[in-house]
Amino acid sequence: MHRLWNRIDFAFSSAWQNFWRNAAVSIASVLIVWVVLLALGSLLLVLHSLDQIVALEKTKASAISVYLADTTPLSSAMEFKLHLESDPRVSSVEYVSKDQAMARFRQLPALDPSVIDTLGTNPLPASLDVTVKDIRDLGAIDQEVRTSPLVDKSPATNYEPNVIDKIILLARVAGIAGLVLIIGLTGLSVFIIMLTIRTAIYLRRKEIEVMKLVGATDWFVRWPFIVEGLIVGLVGAVVAVLIVGFGYRPAVVNLQSVLIFVPLAFDPYYLRVVLAAMLGFGLLLGSVGSYLGIRRFLKQ
Amino acid sequence: MPATITTQPTRTTLLPAKARVAAVVPAAPQISLQGVQKTYPNGTVALRDVSLEIPKQDFVFLVGPSGAGKSTLVRLLIREEKATAGSIHIEGQDLSRLKRRHLPYLRRKIGMVFQDFKLLPNLTVFQNVAFALRVTEGALRHLKPKVEEVLSIVGLEGKESKYPDQLSGGEQQRVAIARALVHDPRIFLADEPTGNLDPATSWEIIQLLLQINARGTTVLMATHNREIVDVMRRRVVAIEGGQIVRDEDAGGYHAPALESH
Repeated sequence: MHRLWNRIDFAFSSAWQNFWRNAAVSIASVLIVWVVLLALGSLLLVLHSLDQIVALEKTKASAISVYLADTTPLSSAMEFKLHLESDPRVSSVEYVSKDQAMARFRQLPALDPSVIDTLGTNPLPASLDVTVKDIRDLGAIDQEVRTSPLVDKSPATNYEPNVIDKIILLARVAGIAGLVLIIGLTGLSVFIIMLTIRTAIYLRRKEIEVMKLVGATDWFVRWPFIVEGLIVGLVGAVVAVLIVGFGYRPAVVNLQSVLIFVPLAFDPYYLRVVLAAMLGFGLLLGSVGSYLGIRRFLKQ
Repeated sequence: MPATITTQPTRTTLLPAKARVAAVVPAAPQISLQGVQKTYPNGTVALRDVSLEIPKQDFVFLVGPSGAGKSTLVRLLIREEKATAGSIHIEGQDLSRLKRRHLPYLRRKIGMVFQDFKLLPNLTVFQNVAFALRVTEGALRHLKPKVEEVLSIVGLEGKESKYPDQLSGGEQQRVAIARALVHDPRIFLADEPTGNLDPATSWEIIQLLLQINARGTTVLMATHNREIVDVMRRRVVAIEGGQIVRDEDAGGYHAPALESH
């Protein structure tokens, strides 16, 4: 028990001394770890948001809203509804009045209802929400309804054929670019931690010489440097985790107020996973860096 | 004055049972070199065909000009280097077969001091000695009495909180000796321990080594100090050009042929 405690105490106090003895190098390595983890955390959260959007768009994809001109009487709208329902490609049609459209609009998150009230009149059109059986027929139906005089001209429908493809492409590009960035930064941070450990070993060369002389085991000599690497990884990770942990919700809220129609949501469960991954990755960077720093220099 | 030792400290052996039995047999020397050769990677031959046996409790001077191979021999004994050919046994243990992870336990059996002391300047006398125990995972509660014991052996009571640069050369070497004694070594290797010291201080250090030897520790001292070797009349092993050229009990620094016989 005493021996174990002595070993731990020696490793931690030496590591802590090492950390501050070459403070400039240590802080540089903490910073680079911090940057890597910030990039990693942000990327994971952005990709997750894009995933959320894609998933939501996919459920909406088999429906379009056909906007009706304000001049269209309700009876014509109902006739048009029946006409569309008789189409074999259509599975259902729902009429949404101007008031219902406004009610839906008010329910959008991050929208200040008092702003809407200042408008006075309701600018939203009534619509027929058409759901098709096969998503591939959506384009043809969109073309047909546009010819009807009942339909509003600006815009006629909310049909956007490429929106999902665009989001998937964006997610893929962001994912690859982020991955390349993170791999590069990971290599850089491992390299800098390795240099930090080598500097620490150099500063302790006399002590190491005496330790070996009086019969310290290899692992006793190594532990302080591994602990130092772990401290670097941990400090960098904790700072990054705090920033991402506290910054994620405000970032989502702010983005929602800018991108009103984009369904962003705060996901506390996923956030916890990301923070744990960041912490683990930070410790991994620290241990790999110190392992590489020790490998060549403590052999005999 | 250094305190005199009245009791022999009890020792725990780290050797396997078989080797322990071998060490008890009087015929087996504590240190044994058979046909040892050391060639460095650059081709320099530092030792050629060296055979040497040192029994337990011996006191041996290792003499010879610089570059003769004295330091190489010392480095082979603590296995800082491996012999190219031949065999070295310490207490029945074959050093060429010693695994790297067992090396620290060999070093704990051998106390070492050097010409340049190798003290840590940022640690006090007490801490320098305690360091040797801490890094070999000596239990912390036994640390203080042990450090006090070895500091009293070398006569440094009252200087525990001084730093090395506040001490004379002789005192610094005493700290190094105290540090080498914390593991109750069975073998004490001194590589030019008086090389940086004035004659009077050198004699004090020799007295200390004699005392350590009297406690039952084998002492091997590599030296250039002709006066000490000549006065002491102990066993002398002379090395020249990597070979043992003379090995005599109660010898002098130079071969007896040079003196009138």
